[in-house]
Amino acid sequence: MKRLPHSPTQRIDTRHPLPFSYGGRLLEGYRGDTVATALFANGVRIFSRSLKYHRPRGLYSLDGESSNCLMEIDGLPNMRAEQVPLRGGMQVRPQNVVGSPERDLLGFLDAFHWAMPAGFYYRVFHKPYRLWPFFQTLIRRAAGAGTVNPSWEPGRYDELHFHADVCVVGGGPAGMQAARAAAQTGLRVVLLESRPWLGGFYDWRTVEHHGTPLYERGRHLARELESLSNVRVYTSCTATGLYGDNLVTAVQEGGPDDFFHQRYLEIRARAVVAATGCTERPLVFEHNERPGVMQPGCAHRLARTYGLLPGTAAVFSVGHDLGLEAAADLHDQGLHVACVADCRSDGQDPQRIAALEERNIPFLRGWVAARALGKKAVEAVVLSTTEGSATRTISCDVLAASAGLTPLTGLFSLARLPLSYDERTGYFLPASLPEGLYAAGRLVGYDDPASIELSGTAAGLRAAVHCGALDAPRADEALTELQDNHRVLRGSKLVLAPGAGARSFVCFDEDATVKHVRQSVRMGFDVPELAKRVTAIGTGPSQSGIPGHNLPLIMAHLRGESAGTLRPTTVRPPLKPTLLATYAGLHPDIHKKTPLHDVQERAGAVFRRVGVWKRARYFSSDPTCRDEILNVRNNVGILDGSTLGKFRIFGPDAEKALQRVYVGDMSRVPAGKLKYSAMCTEDGCLLDDGVATKLGENDYYFTTSTGRAGATVEWFRFHTRHEDWEYYLVNLTDSLASINLAGPKARDVLQQLTDADVSNDAFPFMGYREFRLKGLVPARVLRLGFVGELSYEIHIPSSMARTVWQWLLEAGRPLGIRPFGLEAQNVLRMEKGHVIIGQESEIRTTLIDLGLGFLWDRTKTWAKTVGAPALQFAESQEGRLKLVGFLVDGSRPPLDGSIVVDGSIRGHVCTCRYSPTLDKAIGLALVDDDLAALGSRLRIFEPGDPPEYFDARVVPTPFYDPEGQRMKC
Amino acid sequence: MFEPFGRLWKQAPFRSTYDAVIVGGGLHGLATAYYLAKNHGVRRVAVLEKNHIGYGSAGRNTAIVRANQRTQENIPLYDEGLKMWPQLMDELDFNLMFFNCGNLNLAHSEAAMGALRLQVASAQYLGVRSELLDRKQCKELIPHLNISEDITYPVFGGMYHPPGGTVRHDALVWALAKGASALGVHIHQQTEVTGIAVHRGRVTAVETSRGTIHTLRVLNAAGPWSVLVSAMVDIRLPIHVLPIQAMVTEPLKPFLHHVISSGAYHCYANQSLKGEVVTGAHMDPWISYGTHVTAHYIKHQAEALTELLPCLRGVKFMRIWGGLADMTPDMAPIIDGNDPIEGYYMDCGWGYFGFKSAAVTGKYVAEYMATGRCPKILQPFRLKRYEENRLLGETASPPQYGPWN
Ligand SMILES: Cc1cc2nc3c(=O)[nH]c(=O)nc-3n(C[C@H](O)[C@H](O)[C@H](O)COP(=O)(O)OP(=O)(O)OC[C@H]3O[C@@H](n4cnc5c(N)ncnc54)[C@H](O)[C@@H]3O)c2cc1C
Repeated sequence: MKRLPHSPTQRIDTRHPLPFSYGGRLLEGYRGDTVATALFANGVRIFSRSLKYHRPRGLYSLDGESSNCLMEIDGLPNMRAEQVPLRGGMQVRPQNVVGSPERDLLGFLDAFHWAMPAGFYYRVFHKPYRLWPFFQTLIRRAAGAGTVNPSWEPGRYDELHFHADVCVVGGGPAGMQAARAAAQTGLRVVLLESRPWLGGFYDWRTVEHHGTPLYERGRHLARELESLSNVRVYTSCTATGLYGDNLVTAVQEGGPDDFFHQRYLEIRARAVVAATGCTERPLVFEHNERPGVMQPGCAHRLARTYGLLPGTAAVFSVGHDLGLEAAADLHDQGLHVACVADCRSDGQDPQRIAALEERNIPFLRGWVAARALGKKAVEAVVLSTTEGSATRTISCDVLAASAGLTPLTGLFSLARLPLSYDERTGYFLPASLPEGLYAAGRLVGYDDPASIELSGTAAGLRAAVHCGALDAPRADEALTELQDNHRVLRGSKLVLAPGAGARSFVCFDEDATVKHVRQSVRMGFDVPELAKRVTAIGTGPSQSGIPGHNLPLIMAHLRGESAGTLRPTTVRPPLKPTLLATYAGLHPDIHKKTPLHDVQERAGAVFRRVGVWKRARYFSSDPTCRDEILNVRNNVGILDGSTLGKFRIFGPDAEKALQRVYVGDMSRVPAGKLKYSAMCTEDGCLLDDGVATKLGENDYYFTTSTGRAGATVEWFRFHTRHEDWEYYLVNLTDSLASINLAGPKARDVLQQLTDADVSNDAFPFMGYREFRLKGLVPARVLRLGFVGELSYEIHIPSSMARTVWQWLLEAGRPLGIRPFGLEAQNVLRMEKGHVIIGQESEIRTTLIDLGLGFLWDRTKTWAKTVGAPALQFAESQEGRLKLVGFLVDGSRPPLDGSIVVDGSIRGHVCTCRYSPTLDKAIGLALVDDDLAALGSRLRIFEPGDPPEYFDARVVPTPFYDPEGQRMKC
Repeated sequence: MFEPFGRLWKQAPFRSTYDAVIVGGGLHGLATAYYLAKNHGVRRVAVLEKNHIGYGSAGRNTAIVRANQRTQENIPLYDEGLKMWPQLMDELDFNLMFFNCGNLNLAHSEAAMGALRLQVASAQYLGVRSELLDRKQCKELIPHLNISEDITYPVFGGMYHPPGGTVRHDALVWALAKGASALGVHIHQQTEVTGIAVHRGRVTAVETSRGTIHTLRVLNAAGPWSVLVSAMVDIRLPIHVLPIQAMVTEPLKPFLHHVISSGAYHCYANQSLKGEVVTGAHMDPWISYGTHVTAHYIKHQAEALTELLPCLRGVKFMRIWGGLADMTPDMAPIIDGNDPIEGYYMDCGWGYFGFKSAAVTGKYVAEYMATGRCPKILQPFRLKRYEENRLLGETASPPQYGPWN
């Protein structure tokens, strides 16, 4: 198809042809085309088949209001061809057809539309139930538009997060003026525009305003704006979300020169101006979506923007002056306009009517398209008076139809503003806007270029006032000027064309018609939100694109009520369907590494994620960790415990704060000694455990478990929030590394690094010392015994961790030192009967259930210890689960999570391992208290096919070195 | 068969006396009303709904059904509930679109495998089909699953539960309303309960936006608003109401044939019969009655899903919505009655797992209300358990981190 001669409104570059393929055919378009316009230029008229009835669908609008142009483009399903810029070499394919869109073997389904009333699927296929799976498979196959392409490799997906003072959404005249006005007060302004260029409604129009054609005015404003250094303009960029505190999200399509394919934007703005304008309200009449039926704006833009005549002979059925303007202009471009019907009986701009008369175009007031004729494309249209009293049939191959304009209120819906009906415009708009959100332009009903621009300026200035860059009176001036001069649209009130029924589509995506809406009202689904659920109207990819504000109008009409009694359905983010790849963006894998990560990696560590950290779990491929375990028992091992929570608390009320959250009496921590204690929840359930030492008066150093480190400060603050206490709590977790040196030869290793006396007498079990290693590195050394051997937990500045690790390895080499990981530690501590929170406890497990009741100091009632009342309450309660140690008959341990049974479920295995030290299978389990007595027999059920049973006996813990000689010597 | 439905539920006259009043036209309320009429001949029942039926979580959930819970107190109830779908479709003569696709719950660490083993063991021991899979078996089940090592949380294995699946949530609301209405139950929409009158320790009436109704039995089935209804009789419930979000992609031809969920990634997904990938669910950790959505959640979900199912990178999110979850401390519901107020019953605290249990619970709550005796299967869910510090073991870790469906 030949393009129209060059006109300055065109956005295509005919010097740059772009080859692409469509369903195997090689075609050509131009730079500046969208896939849809390029296909249209090549004679394609049927773009897709509809979801349910497989009706042919064509190019209806150009901004993605419906699913009519969904195609597979470069391997991606469900792409909107009218919004995808054409690139050379693109592979375009139709989807969801058997055959081609022109000849779809499923097209016969259209004849059965009568068999599918609203709620159809709920009535059939389920009786008898045994046939349902069969129908279910058929339904699944028929449903769904595109096909997932597992081999699609995304290109580059970028993301941007930034702040702005004012974010203007919509780059038409109102949006541009808003941005300019706000920018002139010195604010940082960002402007988002979905189309690849600024200009909005001006962009393709040649009518003049104050002597300048509108398109020229649009381009002039755009150039001016782009030259401002404090304005950032993003084109091909659609706002998808508006959230609390004016967080705007948007998606930008990368152009041929961009390094990214798509980009996700998150903009935190102080003020937002909505200037999203209007689209055309679909005219609902019989066969209103036959290929060849399109919005007048679409027809106009095809010619003016893309140089394509929409057809040869056209009929217009419009409800707004823009439609009249389009008809006249298209006539001048060479389209035969057979007739223009306007559903309004009066109120037209006399100039527009004169223009039609000049061109001898028949013009009918109070007439409307009532039915499109033709099978796969429009061949003629039946026009009717709006009340249906007379009809007239006219042949045509293009029917440009709309009921008028409708505002794009998506942003308002996202801002959760209730919409109400405005009598004059016939729009659903919010009664008022919250502080920080402003609106301008056609969106709120302004209709002539002067008012539209002025409203933009006023909104921009009000946004500036909100940001504190301007005094209110300046903005008020603009508002007054606007009020003096404005012209607000008188919108068309037409709801349905006469005779609209079974083939009058309210929602193209879901193939839902006026008949379906009527049925849903009859069923009791008589408000849009409910009708939406039973008819699926507005649940397709374009959400409310087509049904939008028509649905509440139609429903009110069907209920015999006046327009405006019902509200449109809620539109939800994203306003434009957005690829998961785009949302995922750069998606860095965020985690923390300890300062010893790399050295352990070189030593062959296998890491696991533990909360925010990566930690070494194994140092060999043996999951039982036998060698690692035995080496700790016989020689000496070294473990990276840097993730351990480390805190200093000081200040006049530090001790009080400790007393509040710890169950033990923290006043009894002698200097140079460690105290092991626990924190409980208000329910008395174990939350955290660790050790504390006193550094000075009201100055303590304490540790928490890895998992609690991040929440500890908040926990202290929360539980002391009603006290007027002064204390400072410093999280040292990341600044200090921790190395656990454990095993009978640990002292021999440590001694080589320090002159300090580390003998058992000078530095006994549960002691705390500070000294320098090799005279250089300040260390806090805690003599503990989590794994049940002589061990030192060495806390050093993170920056020194690698050095110290190396020193320890060197010093320990002759003694057989080697690193061990979390799993070895898990077995070692289990042999000692020490619990790991979350492994041996559930959220409902109290300190006492775990046998740790001795940690609770019941005398310090004045401290209001968190959890103490609950501990008191549950202390002697029967029927609770208790933690026990057990010995398995036989050497194979049941796997963790196996359950204890005796006809009912009586508990579960928390941890169970074969102990290489003891050569036995031992474990810890939570069991009903009547099974907890020493010597009780436990029957353990390990799931599987078939399951396995184990027998075990409750035994005392620790399993290993019950007297604790090894860690104390 | 092809003629359209008539009115699904009748517009009923507003009476001043009913034998039982149900607060909340959600699933639990409608199911109870239906079974009161059907099984116990209590037909003068009113369901009072402040909005339209299904307005609450009933119309916002993702309708995943399963019976592989953690404890023996919960499993039997859900198991019976799961087995009811075919029968319900028949009995209510409504296609509820039960899609028995099975659920795969992934584990991403040794510890998580242990936690799943406990659930599998409990299910198997109680006769519910559930099994552990290793990562290769997971891949065989879901060929699109990414089991490589280089993702944030590499897959270790999973728990596969063949009898589970999904149901069409709205269909259940309508079917129960239709069924109840046909048996004489009055469904009053746009009718808000504003107070409950108690005289000498027993319920005598409810106050509504449309006037007083005299009744001796009231069920609080107000879902997320149950706390507020309970406050009308001065009973404090240990329920936190948290906003919870879910979303769908554009419809696609069938490619995902199971419900897949992951604790570490904090997400689950399944493909509806309509072809959309339905995925949830994130809870904000702060208490709110707002059903807002957040920008970060949709991004998080994309990050998680594109790692687990890379084929979704080329798929588009279509819309996200929010609902409310009435969370109890132990992720098990509160079902109780006549304590301490005669005639006041409650069925609430269902968090994000109350869809699957609605019909079966309604059946037993109806029995409870009709006879005044608590059926054995509901006894573990008394309110007193919190006062006695005896939480149920439905979750091992804090409630924010469960399987979210
Ligand atoms: C996003 C999301 C996903 C979920 N996913 C799942 C899932 O996959 N599987 C699953 O099993 N569960 C899921 N759930 C949970 C499930 O939806 C709920 O647990 C269930 O719907 C609860 O039913 P209900 O009848 O108790 O409450 P609701 O359905 O919320 O009904 C309560 C009704 O009470 C009405 N009401 C409140 N106060 C008053 C008053 N004063 N007077 C009159 N009426 C009143 C409300 O308007 C509402 O309609 C999910 C929930 C959400 C929000």
